[in-house]
Amino acid sequence: MRTSSQAAPMLRTILHVVGWSGLGLIALAVVLSDFLAHAPAGAANALHMLEAPSSAYPFGTDLLGRDMLSESLHGLSVTLRHALLAALIAIALGGLSGAVAARLPHGAGFMLRGAMGVFAAIPVLLLTILAIGLTARLYAPLAAGLAAAPFAFVRAFDRVDRQSRSTHAQYARATGISVAMLLRRDLTYEFRDTLAPVAARALAAVTIILSTVSFLGFGTTPPARDLGLMIGAAKAYYLQAWWTAAFPALVLLVLILCARLAAGLDEGERP
Amino acid sequence: MMQFAVRQAGRFALGLFGAAVVTSMISAVSMPHAHGLAPFLEAAGARLLAFAQLDFGKSAISGLKVTDELALRLPATLALVLAGSGAALIVGAPLGLLFGAGPIRRAAAPLMQILAALPVFCAGLALAYGAVHLLHWPVSVNLPVAASAPVFSGDLRTLQMAAMPVLTVGLAGAAAVQLALRRAASQSAAEDYRSGLKRMGLSAFEIEWVYAVPQVIAGLLASLGEIMRALLAAAVVAEWVFHRPGAADLFVKSVALADWNMAALILFVFAGLAFLADFGGRIGAYALVNEGKP
Amino acid sequence: MSEAGHIFEIADLNVAKPGAALPELDRFSLTLDAGQIVVVLGEAGSGKEALMRVLGGFSEKGDAISGTIRFASGAEKPAAKRLRPPIRIAYLPNPLARPFAQHVSVLAQLSRVLARKTGSPQASAREELRLALQRLAGAPSLEALNRKPSLVDPVVQAWGLLACVSAQTPDLVLADHSLADLGPTAVSTLLATLAEEQKRLGFALLYATGGLQPAARLGGRVVVIRDGRIVEEGDAARLASGHAHAYTRILFKAQPQLSLEQAKLRGAARGQPLLQVYGLDLLADPHNPSRVRDGLTFELRRGASLALVGEEGSGRRELTRMVLGLDRLTTGRVVFDAVDLNVLSQTMTSRLRRRIAFITGADDALDPRMTLWDTVDEPLRAHLNLSNELIAGYREAALKRVGLASHEGKRAVATLSAFDKRRLQVARAIVGAPLLAVVDEPLRGLDAFAQTIMREVLTDFRTHQGPAFLVITADFTVAQALADEAFVLKDKKVIERGSIVEILRAPKEAYTRSLIAAVTLPGLSQAAGSV
Repeated sequence: MRTSSQAAPMLRTILHVVGWSGLGLIALAVVLSDFLAHAPAGAANALHMLEAPSSAYPFGTDLLGRDMLSESLHGLSVTLRHALLAALIAIALGGLSGAVAARLPHGAGFMLRGAMGVFAAIPVLLLTILAIGLTARLYAPLAAGLAAAPFAFVRAFDRVDRQSRSTHAQYARATGISVAMLLRRDLTYEFRDTLAPVAARALAAVTIILSTVSFLGFGTTPPARDLGLMIGAAKAYYLQAWWTAAFPALVLLVLILCARLAAGLDEGERP
Repeated sequence: MMQFAVRQAGRFALGLFGAAVVTSMISAVSMPHAHGLAPFLEAAGARLLAFAQLDFGKSAISGLKVTDELALRLPATLALVLAGSGAALIVGAPLGLLFGAGPIRRAAAPLMQILAALPVFCAGLALAYGAVHLLHWPVSVNLPVAASAPVFSGDLRTLQMAAMPVLTVGLAGAAAVQLALRRAASQSAAEDYRSGLKRMGLSAFEIEWVYAVPQVIAGLLASLGEIMRALLAAAVVAEWVFHRPGAADLFVKSVALADWNMAALILFVFAGLAFLADFGGRIGAYALVNEGKP
Repeated sequence: MSEAGHIFEIADLNVAKPGAALPELDRFSLTLDAGQIVVVLGEAGSGKEALMRVLGGFSEKGDAISGTIRFASGAEKPAAKRLRPPIRIAYLPNPLARPFAQHVSVLAQLSRVLARKTGSPQASAREELRLALQRLAGAPSLEALNRKPSLVDPVVQAWGLLACVSAQTPDLVLADHSLADLGPTAVSTLLATLAEEQKRLGFALLYATGGLQPAARLGGRVVVIRDGRIVEEGDAARLASGHAHAYTRILFKAQPQLSLEQAKLRGAARGQPLLQVYGLDLLADPHNPSRVRDGLTFELRRGASLALVGEEGSGRRELTRMVLGLDRLTTGRVVFDAVDLNVLSQTMTSRLRRRIAFITGADDALDPRMTLWDTVDEPLRAHLNLSNELIAGYREAALKRVGLASHEGKRAVATLSAFDKRRLQVARAIVGAPLLAVVDEPLRGLDAFAQTIMREVLTDFRTHQGPAFLVITADFTVAQALADEAFVLKDKKVIERGSIVEILRAPKEAYTRSLIAAVTLPGLSQAAGSV
């Protein structure tokens, strides 16, 4: 095995700190959005339509004269709230269930794995759109969480199943350690110790899904506009007024990037 | 090899069956008397039997057979996905291999994170903006494209208009490709045989080319299912953003208009493509790198 | 290179890793003449690895190297520079270190290596390999190597590696713990073959090892190294005779000797029967169990000990798995603690298994994710309802007994050395207070010092807590250290049984004699009455 240089762990730590600090600042901005924003959500001003960024309107205004900075902050608040809910559902119904299912006896776990595998084979975006279509746009965060759950289930299942086939698990069973005790090991070391990065990764993933479905018109209904819906609305005229899409996209990108950095550099490199 | 192929074929068949069950349940939503659990399950069963007889029903919007409508739209999506996968390999493979191991990986990882953080629709809009303002190419973001404008065409204008959706899908695919390659490369870099064979006298280049590259390619093949899912999801966004009348765009419209027969069939086809890619990828990976464990 | 003269001269070699407190090699000087053998003997971390890296020209990035090397009649050059030496050097790795890519056949890889080293086409190299294997007495055929490494026995791989080295007709062979842990008879046969090839081809041999077998069997000069410096050098007999440096004496004393003296029987006859086996036949046809040949019948009493001695494939592990109910019995009956295992449900069997501990030489026997403390605590938390304070107390006592009390308790098992993991298994067994401890090759992969300590830890465990011991090993010295009675297994049959001393005094079977000879080191026997 190659040994890491001393620079690598330092870089990992710095990026972790940047990620979590960024998420912290975003959370603070969301909590204080009503104070930081110059205008309430959706406040139109016909006198200042499609104004370019200036000192008065740092992010410019949109077609209805809404201040893009204020709208971006309000949109960020909506996006983050929905994404947190979706991530929680994905982790609880997906990851946690997958870990438990891997320790179920008599092939029951594998039957569940097979069923979830079918859903996991469908792109999460399509499942989310389908789920919203079958229910209502109001349930978009729930739909996104449920759509991401099969993928999280399969990953957690495979990870824990690999552990259960390992030599140390066999020795543990041979000395009378019960399945419940082994599950406790998994939940302690796979979940507790990795919960923060897993949550951050889930947050990034569902944010992308939710903003995409909003962009496609399946997300939140106005007046509560999230970032995806803002960008979708700006699509008709952004080629002439770039700021109407660029700044909400930038805010969205920063949120997703911070979540990914907080999740850690080795994303996807662990099997 | 045969045993493995048979197992994977069984897995593929089971996956398709599962997808058919899910599809029949979605299709059953549109049945008029499927209210309540028992009637719904009965309707789903009836739909599943109909699927087995290749009867996928009619579109609630156009009244045409859903298979006929899909046959008109699917080729455009497949062309887009195919072209996008080509772009994904051209962009993603060098990124994944170059940044797959060693100190470059650690330095490049933040860059990769930024690229992977970009949602597909943002990338699509950004590409369209760049095409209009920098390259002065025509884009179809706010204009409908003629239904017959194919991705693979000799006409320059059509090619220019097809370039951005292809690149949008390609970038999404590139993110998946480079992730798969990075994962495989980092696993290969940790293998003991690298130092063992080097000490025995093989050159680093020979070890990479003869032993490591097949492992990395096998890693990419094993992730084909994941890459296909990324490409299909990106195709949905690209067709919507660039007004391309493909099957992915049809899926979005079908769900919006509650045409469940149509949505179900498209979902089944997409799931089938993902399963097929997964199946083919696993067979390919096994053929390339098989550790012979009993 | 010249007929007589040095193969290499190393002068004042320093090798250090960045940030390390001590250098790996410290002002190290060594000369090796053409056709000579030098065995570099030392513990793990003594500097042998660094020496191999520098001589072989595969230093790692970040190695700070100073000093000079001269190869044969070439000029003296700085050791830090990776220069092509003017002699042919062949490297002989240990197959257990996984030197082969797992997805390509062993034969293909060896052919490629040989082709590269000799500058010949691969087809010719393959033929050279075949001829080299034919020359080596007892070597397998070429076709035995034409499979993926996971399907080729490590001993067969070792033969292939030896043949590859021989076919290179090298001037210098660097043997890097090449035959460690391959099984005593295989090790003695392969060492003898290596010595023969060395005589026949006249190459110089530098053999790095942590055990005494190569020193005893290869002859030549022994260089004892510690903390990067040479402690002493001389021939093995002189170093073992007692007229040596204190460290060297400790190292040689660490090598256990077989004894023909009857040890005080440690409770062999006392205690109720713990394990009773009736009519067990490993060769029985599972589809036709009525055809039972002579089945094995024995009993193991509480506090007694039994060794199953045999090499890989002899059936010792299958026997253990069947006896403990881990595999389904095809014939016979097993009664553990007065309970017939065959009639028990899964839940009841699980409860019974709480009284069994496993201590094994496999590095993956412990969950690498767990912390040191959690590993020891788990049996107590799983089976008993104790307070945290009591658990901590038992844990501390167990860790003290095995010498791990000073280690950081929240350290993950993955960060521990093999020696620490081995002792941690014993600590976990101690808190479990088992009736039966299954000890499977507990000294595998450890150097001489660590083996001595591990032997003491296990003996202490057995003496203080008194569990019955079921020892699985191919090494009679391990069997004698931990057990009183033994079954010798070959081809899934028990070919000899009795007290270990009786077997050592008068082994009936040729296979038993070969196992005894494999661990009897010529020239190093010191104790009176030893084999």
